[in-house]
Amino acid sequence: MKYIKKVLGEDLRQYTMVVALVALIIVFNIASGEKMVTSSNFQNLISGNAYVLVLALGMLMVIVIGQIDLSVGSVAGFASMVMAITARQFNLPWYIAILVALAIGMLAGAWQGFFLSRLGIPGFITTLGGMMIFRGGVIWISNSISVPVPSELKWFGAGYLPEWGPAFTGMNNSTLLLGVLAIAVYIIIQLKKYARSGDITGEKEEFWPVAVRIVLVTVVIGYMTWIFGSGRPGTSFPIPGLILVILIILYHLITERTSFGRHVYAVGGNKSAAELSGVNVKRTYFLTMLNMSILAAVAGILFVGRSTAAGPADGTSWEMDAIASVFIGGAAVSGGVGTVIATMVGGLVMAVLNNGLMLMGVGADKTQVIKGFVLLAAVAFDVYNKKNRR
Amino acid sequence: MKAKKIVSMLMTVAVAVSVLTGCGGGRTAEPTSVADTAKTAETEKTDSKPTGNSSESNASEGNSSKGGVVGVALPWLGTQNWAEAEVMFKEQLEAAGYETIIQAADQKVPQQQQQIESMIENGANVIVVGPVDGTQLGSVLEKAKDAGVYVIGYDRLLENTTGVDGIVQFGSVKTGELQAQALLQGLEELKGEAPYNIELFGGGPADPNAPNFFKGAMTVLQPLIDDGTLVVVSGQTEFTQCATADWDNSKAQSRMDAILAGNYSDIEIDGVLSPNDGIARAIITSCENAGQPIPVVSGLDAENESVKWVWSGKQYSTVAKPTNALVAKTVSIIDSLLAGNGMPETDVTANNGVIDVPVYELPPVVVTKDNAKEVFADDPDRMALLTE
Amino acid sequence: MSDGYILQMKNITKTFPGVKALSNVTLEVSKASIHAICGENGAGKSTLMKVLSGVYPHGSYDGHIIFEGKEMAFKNIKESERAGIVIIHQELTMIPELSVTENIFMGNEIVERGLINWDQERKKTRELLEAVGLHINPNTIIKNLGVGQQQLVEIAKALSKNVKLLILDEPTSSLNESDSENLLKLMLGLKKQGITSIMISHKLNEIAAVSDYVTVIRDGQTVDGYAVEAGKVDENKIIKAMVGREIENRYPEHTPKIGDVVLEVSDWNVEDAKVPGKMLCKNSRFNVRAGEIVGFAGLMGAGRTELMRSLFGKTIGIFKGGTIRIHGREVKIDSVQDAIKNKLAYVPEDRKVLGLNLLDSIKKTTVSANLDKIKTRGLLDFDKERAAAEKYRVSLRTKCSNVGVGVNTLSGGNQQKVVLSKWMFTEPDILILDEPTRGIDVGAKYEIYKLIHELADQGKAIILVSSELPELLGMADRIYTIFEGQITGELPAKDANQEVLMKKMTITA
Repeated sequence: MKYIKKVLGEDLRQYTMVVALVALIIVFNIASGEKMVTSSNFQNLISGNAYVLVLALGMLMVIVIGQIDLSVGSVAGFASMVMAITARQFNLPWYIAILVALAIGMLAGAWQGFFLSRLGIPGFITTLGGMMIFRGGVIWISNSISVPVPSELKWFGAGYLPEWGPAFTGMNNSTLLLGVLAIAVYIIIQLKKYARSGDITGEKEEFWPVAVRIVLVTVVIGYMTWIFGSGRPGTSFPIPGLILVILIILYHLITERTSFGRHVYAVGGNKSAAELSGVNVKRTYFLTMLNMSILAAVAGILFVGRSTAAGPADGTSWEMDAIASVFIGGAAVSGGVGTVIATMVGGLVMAVLNNGLMLMGVGADKTQVIKGFVLLAAVAFDVYNKKNRR
Repeated sequence: MKAKKIVSMLMTVAVAVSVLTGCGGGRTAEPTSVADTAKTAETEKTDSKPTGNSSESNASEGNSSKGGVVGVALPWLGTQNWAEAEVMFKEQLEAAGYETIIQAADQKVPQQQQQIESMIENGANVIVVGPVDGTQLGSVLEKAKDAGVYVIGYDRLLENTTGVDGIVQFGSVKTGELQAQALLQGLEELKGEAPYNIELFGGGPADPNAPNFFKGAMTVLQPLIDDGTLVVVSGQTEFTQCATADWDNSKAQSRMDAILAGNYSDIEIDGVLSPNDGIARAIITSCENAGQPIPVVSGLDAENESVKWVWSGKQYSTVAKPTNALVAKTVSIIDSLLAGNGMPETDVTANNGVIDVPVYELPPVVVTKDNAKEVFADDPDRMALLTE
Repeated sequence: MSDGYILQMKNITKTFPGVKALSNVTLEVSKASIHAICGENGAGKSTLMKVLSGVYPHGSYDGHIIFEGKEMAFKNIKESERAGIVIIHQELTMIPELSVTENIFMGNEIVERGLINWDQERKKTRELLEAVGLHINPNTIIKNLGVGQQQLVEIAKALSKNVKLLILDEPTSSLNESDSENLLKLMLGLKKQGITSIMISHKLNEIAAVSDYVTVIRDGQTVDGYAVEAGKVDENKIIKAMVGREIENRYPEHTPKIGDVVLEVSDWNVEDAKVPGKMLCKNSRFNVRAGEIVGFAGLMGAGRTELMRSLFGKTIGIFKGGTIRIHGREVKIDSVQDAIKNKLAYVPEDRKVLGLNLLDSIKKTTVSANLDKIKTRGLLDFDKERAAAEKYRVSLRTKCSNVGVGVNTLSGGNQQKVVLSKWMFTEPDILILDEPTRGIDVGAKYEIYKLIHELADQGKAIILVSSELPELLGMADRIYTIFEGQITGELPAKDANQEVLMKKMTITA
């Protein structure tokens, strides 16, 4: 036990969901006749759920700050519909259309942020209004008809990395390169950290846990690289997955390593104390809501890219999937608690459940029931753990 | 506590081992036959596909006798026709000896996308798609194409994608023509000499069939409007004016209320073109409320309630699109595909925005009081409605 | 047998785990009188009233309660109310969204055949309101009334229960002057109708104006009782009785090194956001020098915290004018950010509600008010964070296993040290400490005192707000007293004693 803690860190509890995720993957792989852990299925899993995970990134911050955003699905639908119409009816190039979608997300976020931060209307109400406004907006501007998007956008929702270089690797070389890069960066970070480890406390860490950590991560990333890279030629780690990974790194940094991130946790943990510590609470609320809606627009772009058309019902009930991911990831309803990585694990648990049950031919009805139970169980387990800690 | 940790650690190791020993993909290993046919399928797209070997290798995975895996993705099971379709597909496909995967998407596009992907993963050779939204499955269907899977659209056009091999549906233009003809027949039968005062209704604009219904109907009606036999009193003859958003009955009823109030204060309405039964009943109700004599109204779908109304004379006609005929046609195409004979011949095609898709059209059947007993002879449920 | 007493509480002793809150308290209240109880914060006044009203049920205390000649054993508030004892708390307990009638009959509805008889209730309400001198519609929603009117409704509610003994806990603390006067008049009116009142108050002028008798409680014991005659009371005697204890705590030795004036506040005015017309700060004017510890004395609700928080970025009340000079230069401080920029720091009185995010670790808390200081190339640097936290852990002698643990695992004293380190990390020139030792045990207090001295020796200007007079006398170099938002006195600590301070804390100069 002592050794495991040295490798993984003091708080092993945070790995509960990771273990659950791995267990689910194994169970489904066996139950579905080894159809779960295949290149194509993992690729599907990522490109089919990237939009929910992107939403969950923003939703995490909204929930940490003690609010909720019910409008994300509608904003995603609205932004992508405007994008589709811009591209199709005004014949503007696809990159302009993307900028338009992001701008719409920004405006929607500013709108909601304004009501929350300046007028003090709770996020629940503000975004419930937003949900109706933007959903109505989608149907209005589209006349309830789906609008196809330029084929370039497909790359964002369903594209793959390019093929190049030698064939003897047996893999998509772009994916291979990414995997190798990721491993290299991880090793450098770990070694640097190790080198500094004695500076403050005067006690140098032992080296072997660092080594074990490096080996573990290398194996995991290496395996993932193999899985994603060795599919049918032409396929690779999906583009939406790549966008997601970049966003995860970015938001991990924002939440952990910037003042703004700290402020989000401070406001969610104790608003009065945060205010008396010099945190601009209103600004923090505003930026969090703004950010959420921009991410909603990104999610909309990814989804529409995959669907090749923007539809009037796009985004319906996406907010619920995003919220569920955040809570399965261990965030607290009262705010102040939650991390980007745990949220992603939570989202993947939902995604794997969905995917595995589908592979087994379980209907949407029962899948829904099972997902509901998993959400309850995960949160109940979390609450139980926290109580026992006292 | 300690035990739990150990279990979790063991699990992690187990995964690492199980995955490393290669249940994963691999360009050399090619564990799924689906991937096998991918490249060839692309090059031989125009010819009939080499489905023989892929269906065989899949058959060894499943335990079906005849071989072949068929996926059926339905939008939902919330209306009579889709619920019937689910049952019929299951019966007929299993009777034919195929391994069958049927999933309904609860009207959610992302759900349906993932269901189709999981069918590909499960080694489906043919996937029948009744889309939630025919335009939003583009990349997923192309993935199916790349994996060498045949895609057949069921009841609705699959637009905006190259990944579709054929569509089975009732001819929607034809349906419109039949509706218009039934309307004319009713007017002559019940409303005396021309000219006749009529109004026009269309379906939900999101459904690609709706404009086609309207177009079909107008090919019959337009000449008569032009020569004055028919008078559209409100003047609303464009599809965009007549459309009913979301096929919503209550919206149709409000539109009818408004038209009657605005144009029919001193004249009588003789007939209404209605795109389906729900809207037909809404129109009739509106006329009753306005104190108008019941006009001749067309319909579609042979819903139970409207079958009763046709039998009692309240609604002049409906058009039946028997689900079992549609399913039977689809299954016959599947039979041809899995026997290695490719897609059957057809001369009808429809442009889906990217390619011309072969269309297999079935003729719908007009139902009036006169022929109801004949049409539903094989349908005990609907026959039961005709007794009152 | 009761000799004209309506209430006799004999030898009441109430213990909480580890603390004797009341010991052998005796209270005798004459029929149809107004009886004042005074004492320092925490002397045991409220505990005694909770014993009387049944909040602490019979059996959880020792002693006897004799009411109207009969021994009582209340198990809850309902029973004491049935006997005719009604307590009106400092914080009003009415439901703001409901009407006057609904609130008055809340829990005592007039019911006929299962339905409320509204006509009857409204009629009764009108009579009751008449009796307390309120001329308003019984359907008025409570939140639309002023605090003074609400208090009158509370009394009307008490009257509806056929009250014989009315207990008012600091009734005028949240009222402005005219409302206070009104209320006192009403109490005199009720007395004429034969209703007895107990008034907990530390406003000696009010006590003198209306009460017949004063009981002083100190450290959970009855100290003394005085009759009030002809509106006169010997204030000095009462004050001495309230505070009359030797300084028990010990304070570290310290020789101040006082420099130039650092902070200078003048004509500072702040109005209560909730009670229009009530001033939280009235023309406050004071200064603090470098290396000086300046104490602020005042009773609860006198406006000390309000003054400090309005200085610290105007986070309370409505600002009505005033200037702040720091090192002689006038500065504009409109937000906490401005305050921090101008080198102010404020350690709030309620650690858990205002001072800490209990979800955070020690290191995150330490750096939370000055994140810029731990940044490297725009990103927070965990090494710097940890180094900072370690530095304060060592220098403040915070007891914890490591700086990564949550602040919720720490004791009160160590939590306070973390809050202090958070503000020391902002390198302030002026440090406002609001009740820095509340809820902290004696040993930890001593360490905090030493820290305060160290900070002063570093040349920081320190404001120490405290309710404990001995602490102020032991720590401060100079003391201001506040009463009802007004600074009523300023004196060097060496010239001050508890009596003098208490006098200035209870009456306008």
